[in-house]
Amino acid sequence: MKKKVLAVLLSAAMVMSLAACGGGGGGDAKTDDGGSAADSGTTAADDNAGSDDSAGGDKGYSFEIIVKSFQSTYWQAAVQGIEQACGELGVKANSNGPANESDIADQITMINDAIEKKPDGIGLAACDTKSVVDSLQKALEAGIPVVCFDTGVDEAPEGSVYATVATDNEAAGAVAAENMFPVIEEKIKAATTDKKVRIGEVNQDATALNIQQRGKGFINKMLELCTDAGKKVAVVGNEYYVNATEGTVAEGEAEVIIEVGVPAQTTVDLASTEAQKIMSKDDTIAIFGSNQTTAEGVITANQTLNKLAADPAEGIIGVGFDAGTPQKEAITNGQFIGSVTQSPLMMGYECIYTLTDIADGKDVSDLPMDGYWYNKDNMEAEDIAPNLYD
Amino acid sequence: MANKKAFGKLKGREAMVLGIVIAMVVLFSILSPTFRSYPTFVSVLDNSYYITLMALGVTFPLITGGVDLSIGTGLVSYALIGGYLVVHKGVPIGVGILVCILVGLLIGVFNGVLVAVMDLPPFLATLCTCMITRGLGPALCSSMGVSWPSALSEQGAFRKIFKFTSASGTVIPIGIVFMIVLVVIMSFVLDHTRVGRYILAIGSNKEATRLAGVNVKFYHMMAYMISGLFAGMAGVAYAATYATIYPGSGAGFELDAIGGAIVGGVSASGGVGTILGTFLGVFVICLMKVGLPFIGLQANWQQIFTGIVLIAAVLVDVVKKKK
Repeated sequence: MKKKVLAVLLSAAMVMSLAACGGGGGGDAKTDDGGSAADSGTTAADDNAGSDDSAGGDKGYSFEIIVKSFQSTYWQAAVQGIEQACGELGVKANSNGPANESDIADQITMINDAIEKKPDGIGLAACDTKSVVDSLQKALEAGIPVVCFDTGVDEAPEGSVYATVATDNEAAGAVAAENMFPVIEEKIKAATTDKKVRIGEVNQDATALNIQQRGKGFINKMLELCTDAGKKVAVVGNEYYVNATEGTVAEGEAEVIIEVGVPAQTTVDLASTEAQKIMSKDDTIAIFGSNQTTAEGVITANQTLNKLAADPAEGIIGVGFDAGTPQKEAITNGQFIGSVTQSPLMMGYECIYTLTDIADGKDVSDLPMDGYWYNKDNMEAEDIAPNLYD
Repeated sequence: MANKKAFGKLKGREAMVLGIVIAMVVLFSILSPTFRSYPTFVSVLDNSYYITLMALGVTFPLITGGVDLSIGTGLVSYALIGGYLVVHKGVPIGVGILVCILVGLLIGVFNGVLVAVMDLPPFLATLCTCMITRGLGPALCSSMGVSWPSALSEQGAFRKIFKFTSASGTVIPIGIVFMIVLVVIMSFVLDHTRVGRYILAIGSNKEATRLAGVNVKFYHMMAYMISGLFAGMAGVAYAATYATIYPGSGAGFELDAIGGAIVGGVSASGGVGTILGTFLGVFVICLMKVGLPFIGLQANWQQIFTGIVLIAAVLVDVVKKKK
């Protein structure tokens, strides 16, 4: 008897682990939660629509939304925008996403599952822009329109992606460089080949398109500004970003060095180690963390180094990206001179509107969203504050 | 040297791991001028606390011949739950910390029941709790990332348990003192108390231990309770060290801890292991995580290199045993 119970338990456990391998482990539990939250938001806001989408209502469309993860509050703001739009339009959206932004395979499974459900449209924030191409082909064959949000997919099969709602990440990265440069301009002008200055950048990875573009946007703008100031620039560090930059010189000949750090995994401790590695160097004058995790990595590293300062004469100038309580605090207490925010809420919101337009048969086009600079002075401003999630 | 006094003579394995640690420090210091600085030293310690706590705990299931895979996702979910109560429900920070540790203990008891009472294989049982904890934290905290109060805020004093910053700005990593105290306590527990001796006995020969009249189920369960308790404490250490706890993270943390314990001489087949060895083994892992970026090794190569070094560390032992 005991053996039988054990056998049953064991096989149950095995099935569970299999299901988890296929479906993304804890991601399911979490995302179910997010999904049901979105659903209840919809039904609460939408009086006319029945519980079944075929029952009609205002619009009655049903969409599948797949975000990169629910890891950061960033995606929660996006879900908030999705719910808001659903309520306004009377449509349904089921939000899902892997446990971790690096769980690329899990996300693919989720996209394929979403296609099986035959929704009126799919909203997708791709973790890895290359891996989703096959799934987009499937969606195209199944006749399901896809709107990419947050992250665009360059190599998407012709006709599969109807529109992309995304921050112009290259421009957003450039915003960080434009606001950092005036503060450190004097130091850059004083730099020589014997007395180099170093500007750091920590990027979460070298695979996601938005991080790539943001990282390159910062590097290219900084490169341009330094070159205009008559300085020779070298880019060192992560191979991807080094190879992606043109117009640089060898490290030995350079007066300004842009060092790019990418952690081996997207964990907070490794992100802070990358920041610390750069900030420990004596010639480092400024550092940019290009998303929430890496910006907080800079802040964590500073807890030990204590080198960040609002005045370039006193220490390293820090600039962040996205929001979250630690970053807002760093800006308030002068560790960061400012940060660049996107509007995840608006992206989620516009994604639903675009999907609804497609279902209505309207023509849609790409929607580039801005990156906004915020600092101590405008953090509370009406057009900035709603994007600064905790 | 303090360690020597506390533990008498270092055993061969521990001496070897200590040698590896010293060799790594020397190597990284030569290769990177910025590595040999006080802030880097503090940073290695910062990165070590939560791994050390996990490793001290998981040493006990490992010694029984089992394993506890739930500690990584566990610590993140405990820290999420505790932090959620503090940040969003206005619970005092002390209660948040207590909740964090108690939920850890609870999952430990659960693991213990699955493994010791219901005879599930440890790998499978804790793999399941690993999944459960991965979803549990986010499910209870509406999938939100949680930032425990920062060191500058009123409630942030708990962060100073691990890293004290004096008025003049000097950073003192006092967390290491607590770690050493815990190492001494747990070494005593493992080597000189009934719980420890029986856990070692279960690892060497469970059946013989049972026939000797020992309540094997109880002591087997204890091993997982200790592991859960320390995972809870690791959750506190993690929350104290890093800015934001992200839901869904934590998978893979347990491998750092288990890796550290194995490098430190804990036998994966059970019955053998010391707390001091585990403690030193953790530093091999932590030095690698901090040191490899400092010497300019890029992301992918860091992981490859880490794997190779761990093979080497374990291989040295195997070769030595054969001689």
